[in-house]
Amino acid sequence: MPGPPPSSDDAYERFLKLFAHHENDLRTFIRSLLPTWHDADEVVQQSALVIWRKFDQFDPSTEFMKWACVIARFEALAYRRKMARDRLVFREDILELMADEGAEEIDQRQAEYEALESCLQAIPEKHRRLLTLAYTPGIKVKELARQAGSSSAAFYMRLNRLRKDLMHCIESKTQSAS
Amino acid sequence: MNPRFHQLPPDQQAWIQDYVNGTLDEAGFAAFQNELARNPALRSQLRRYLALDDHLRRGSDEAAGISADWQAAAAPPPPPKPVAFSMSRLRQAWPAALAACLAFGLAVTLFWKPRPDDTATEEAVASGFAVVTRLLNAQWPEGASARREGDALGSETFALADGAAEIQFFCGATVTLQGPARLTLDSAWAATCHAGSLRVHVPPAARGFKLHAPDTEITDLGTELGLEVTEAGAKVAVFEGEIAMRHREGPEQIVPGGKGFDLPKSSQAAETKVSPDTFPNPALLDPHFQNQRQRSFERWQTHRDTFAADPRLIAYYTFDQPRGSGSVANLAVPNDPESAGAIILAETVDGRWPGLKQALEFRRPGSRVRVNLPGEFQAFTFSAWVRIDSLDRRYSSLFMADGYETGEPHWQLRDDGKLMLSVMVDDTRPNPKMPEDAGFHRVYYSPPVWDVSKSGQWMHLTSVFDPAAREVRHYVDGRRVSEQAIEPDFFIGTLRIGNAEIGNWGEPFRDTPWFAIRHLNGRIDELAVFKAALTDEAIARIFEGSRTGSAPARKLR
Repeated sequence: MPGPPPSSDDAYERFLKLFAHHENDLRTFIRSLLPTWHDADEVVQQSALVIWRKFDQFDPSTEFMKWACVIARFEALAYRRKMARDRLVFREDILELMADEGAEEIDQRQAEYEALESCLQAIPEKHRRLLTLAYTPGIKVKELARQAGSSSAAFYMRLNRLRKDLMHCIESKTQSAS
Repeated sequence: MNPRFHQLPPDQQAWIQDYVNGTLDEAGFAAFQNELARNPALRSQLRRYLALDDHLRRGSDEAAGISADWQAAAAPPPPPKPVAFSMSRLRQAWPAALAACLAFGLAVTLFWKPRPDDTATEEAVASGFAVVTRLLNAQWPEGASARREGDALGSETFALADGAAEIQFFCGATVTLQGPARLTLDSAWAATCHAGSLRVHVPPAARGFKLHAPDTEITDLGTELGLEVTEAGAKVAVFEGEIAMRHREGPEQIVPGGKGFDLPKSSQAAETKVSPDTFPNPALLDPHFQNQRQRSFERWQTHRDTFAADPRLIAYYTFDQPRGSGSVANLAVPNDPESAGAIILAETVDGRWPGLKQALEFRRPGSRVRVNLPGEFQAFTFSAWVRIDSLDRRYSSLFMADGYETGEPHWQLRDDGKLMLSVMVDDTRPNPKMPEDAGFHRVYYSPPVWDVSKSGQWMHLTSVFDPAAREVRHYVDGRRVSEQAIEPDFFIGTLRIGNAEIGNWGEPFRDTPWFAIRHLNGRIDELAVFKAALTDEAIARIFEGSRTGSAPARKLR
């Protein structure tokens, strides 16, 4: 992590440990605020820098994720202002609502991730293959669709359908919990 | 309960999907944002959907680099030309599970019907091959889903933080699990224990049931056995019959009843004396299950007595009349013998506390309970504990006024699982949509609240007709699932019931069979009718007070 080293190696160790532990959850949180994975990756990186810079202000008796979400929310807003004229960038009030509500749902997100594991096992193999294809880093849906000999609209429709079924499965598994 | 994704209006689902795919156009995005600003349920669904998007991508990322559980076996196809990948673990588990389910014909199979808005080819099929039969003081690990008795289980991991659980596989094997424990259900014939202590009973029909521990494979040849898995390794004890066991790379050996083995992680299996007390014993748990049921039933009895005194009640039937009795008392205070229900053909059967409380079953087409509830009212709340076996009629009745005259209610379920509540607005005015139908009214539907996976499970259903707030609301298990405005044209402020039926409809006004036959293929354990529109909080409290089980109260919103 290329952050400035304001304190001891010890602090850096602690930061790395905490950040590594929570990075996935933080990325999921940030993903809900911005239109693409690319945007989310940018803000995750920027947030990591700021979290390290301010790490001496973090009170270890409090929840790291809560604190990290506050920083990530701020970074997402700053990023939004730069990108505001791009397509599908949320208005500031909506981004704020999404961030405030999302910060309360971290546990829920983890439960959903766990549920997804078993939901993926319950779908036919060709559906899993399609998902793996669609989510392969660097893949272009247009290119995929061309190879499969179908239109990207048809591909998206299939993808929508699969995600809808997964949502159904995840919701069935998690919403019986209190 | 927030609506689920598939319960959102189709245009809202499309916004979310197009937003995530990056294909939403400018006008759509503007409308999407306006709706997001005012609709917390939509925001909540969007976050869940975006999280799914992120989780799927995380799975792919991790498969590309680090190993992850569900992607480990699925080597990622290197872009741009993806190649076939191996899914060995899943490929093995799934067809086996499917075959077992088909063979036994006991599978809880729910088909996700292709929707008209969706032309994708394949149908997803979710399947279960085991069921949670009993739970005792069960606690769930943080983040894991809470299970209820009667839940169907498929290919998934069952995690228990504390307490005991009994799982019956459709092949006939029964696993009693003591928390903390983690058990993955592989198929109707196989399970893997990662941690914890369990006992398996395998009747002759289930011989061949396979149990895996991290380093050991056990084939049960018709027995009762105990297995304990800890960090250090496992222990197995055969109480009766015999098993075939293979530990690490060792040879397969037959272990007869009365023997036990230590199965250390890093060395050979070694015979040892294992105390049966190490493993959960269903016989010893039985009294606890009984106790729990008794306490929960007593809790309900207390609830019943205070509930019956609610001055807003018009009627409250609990169906715990003596077997063979032809009538059921209205418990609402002050008791009025005139409003007792007459039981016709409906059978007295086990209710939510088998052996302690009864219910009525309306399985036979003529079964019904006839009631007469005179008076004029300003609002209605209908609330019932219902166990639906199937919705094989077009409409299945819960509570239906006979004539469906002005001001009279119909509370029922449609075959797609939606709750329906309607009140006749004006029976002299033709219905513009169905001129041949009797009278001017509107039906207020919930999203689907039932599908075949819930067959045989008790549910708490509530619907509220609230003219003052100009709203109709539906609830499942104490949580609101939908609300719909009563538009001015359909407003009616003076409500009546008169002659009515529970579980059927006495006087259908059309002679088409799907209209005429509306008995409920299922059971009703209790049913209450209020002359008031109950609030979300009151309905949540009724659910809490009357539910089975000893689980701590759910957080009320």
